[in-house]
Amino acid sequence: MRRSFAAVACDVIRIEQLGKTFRVGGREVSALSDINLEIGKGEVFGIIGRSGAGKSTLLRSLNLLERPSAGRVLIDGEDITGFDRNRLHALRQRIGMIFQHFNLLNAKTVAGNIDWPLKSTGMLDAAQREKRVAELLALVGLTEHANKYPAQLSGGQKQRVGIARALANRPQLLLCDEATSALDPETTQSILRLLLDINRQFGLTIVLITHEMQVIRTLCDRVAVIDGGRIVESGRVADVFLHPQHPVTRGMVAQSDPLTAAMLDPSHAFARDKLRGTLVRLTYLGDVTYRPILSHIAAATPARFTILQGEVSSIKDLPFGQLLLELEGSEDDIRKVFAELDRFEIHHEVLQ
Amino acid sequence: MIDLSMIEWGDIAFATWETLVMTGVSLLFTVLLGLPLGILLFVTASGQLLERRGLYRVLSFAVNVLRSVPFLILLIVMIPVTVLLIGTSLGVEGAIPPLVVGTSPLFARLVENVLREVDRGVIEACQAMGIPTHRIIFGALLPEAMPGLIAATTVTAITLMSYAAMSGVIGGGGLGDLAIRFGYQRFQTEVMVITVALLVVLVQFIQHAGDRLVLHFSRK
Repeated sequence: MRRSFAAVACDVIRIEQLGKTFRVGGREVSALSDINLEIGKGEVFGIIGRSGAGKSTLLRSLNLLERPSAGRVLIDGEDITGFDRNRLHALRQRIGMIFQHFNLLNAKTVAGNIDWPLKSTGMLDAAQREKRVAELLALVGLTEHANKYPAQLSGGQKQRVGIARALANRPQLLLCDEATSALDPETTQSILRLLLDINRQFGLTIVLITHEMQVIRTLCDRVAVIDGGRIVESGRVADVFLHPQHPVTRGMVAQSDPLTAAMLDPSHAFARDKLRGTLVRLTYLGDVTYRPILSHIAAATPARFTILQGEVSSIKDLPFGQLLLELEGSEDDIRKVFAELDRFEIHHEVLQ
Repeated sequence: MIDLSMIEWGDIAFATWETLVMTGVSLLFTVLLGLPLGILLFVTASGQLLERRGLYRVLSFAVNVLRSVPFLILLIVMIPVTVLLIGTSLGVEGAIPPLVVGTSPLFARLVENVLREVDRGVIEACQAMGIPTHRIIFGALLPEAMPGLIAATTVTAITLMSYAAMSGVIGGGGLGDLAIRFGYQRFQTEVMVITVALLVVLVQFIQHAGDRLVLHFSRK
């Protein structure tokens, strides 16, 4: 792993040396190996990978729907892999989970679905349950649909029921198994907004798996890229997104964002013979995004520059920018430009 | 020409009643035996909620054996057992034990198949919520499978009705008995025709009622 990140104050989840092998036709097939992760309280952590990379197995290890073959899963310092059935049930009641295909009970109404985990754990009486169901319906905006059956709802509404149901027992952790992959882009955005609201409102830790970079960009604080059952890259979303190292990560970034793809590899986008100067890619994060860096550099150095391509946007709430510049000037001029960039903590890399 | 003047309508009505009683009582016991057996088959199968491969194999084999025995043979083989249980192997009561033994394995297998059709993801979601297995089975699995279970019960009821008619061969009561004694042995074709017609009507009625119930419980 390339980046080190600041230690999180209160770890809720620690995965150590996690491995999983399946027996397929008498042969051992490794689905996960050597997984180490720390996920902090209140964090939104994304796991991204192609299908078959092992991300689902990893997510399902967190509530032991999948039993790891090696390693430990520590939640609040306790290794859950050793839990007996009662402790496992109690643990799972504190962990909500939502699914790609919603997995609602078709025979129960919307209210019945949300009530089901409350009823089954038997911690509230009927009046308390009714109140809690009403709260949850309001939270996900489905109050008018309380008495409908899942078959009468749209995909987005079904997922809202799934979210309400997952939150019923006030979990500290929410697992999202490709929660938006069956939804259209607009509905996806509304579900992601709801998840973000919940994360902020309740300080709920969210671990999600997806194959869509867009979901990671919208929702996650940190991301791990998984390929062939291993974590190949991890770190802050903005860092991974702007500086993807592993080919799989680069591929996924390129697919979700053609502009970044072109800036990572400009040789396809620009005819070399038209470029005389030095091709430089600048990336920056945070407050510096709002400062007049380029005009400052133009004033401070005799070098001339052309903006070939650029993007200023934000990842979750973090503003960022990336620019592809062609710099012209003496070696000394260009050195000065780089020194100025360093002063503003702007990452720069020479592409040719 | 069929001459309906010589038909004893009172006998026919009574035989119809007996057939309904045999079918109804046998169906009740078949469900009481077959439903738990079917649930057990489902949950003990490989990869399911309470996987027990050994138990599954034993149950599955027993069900297959009972289902391989032709019902007519079962009727005869069961005579001593029936006498032991009820005191007689004749009449309506005598027909019920072989009927229950004959159809319970069928019903159990139908139940198993219906439960397998329940979306695995739904069961998994319940497991992820930390719901105990018995609650998952009775609170989620069975309600989700309700339309299928009713359809399976309908199929079984119709099978029972035709088996009940067959039990006339060994002296069971009902329409089958009437058809054999009057229609076949005394060459009263009219009785045979009426009996078969009545069975057709009863089967239609059961199927229709079953379909209506399935529709009522379907939430799709």
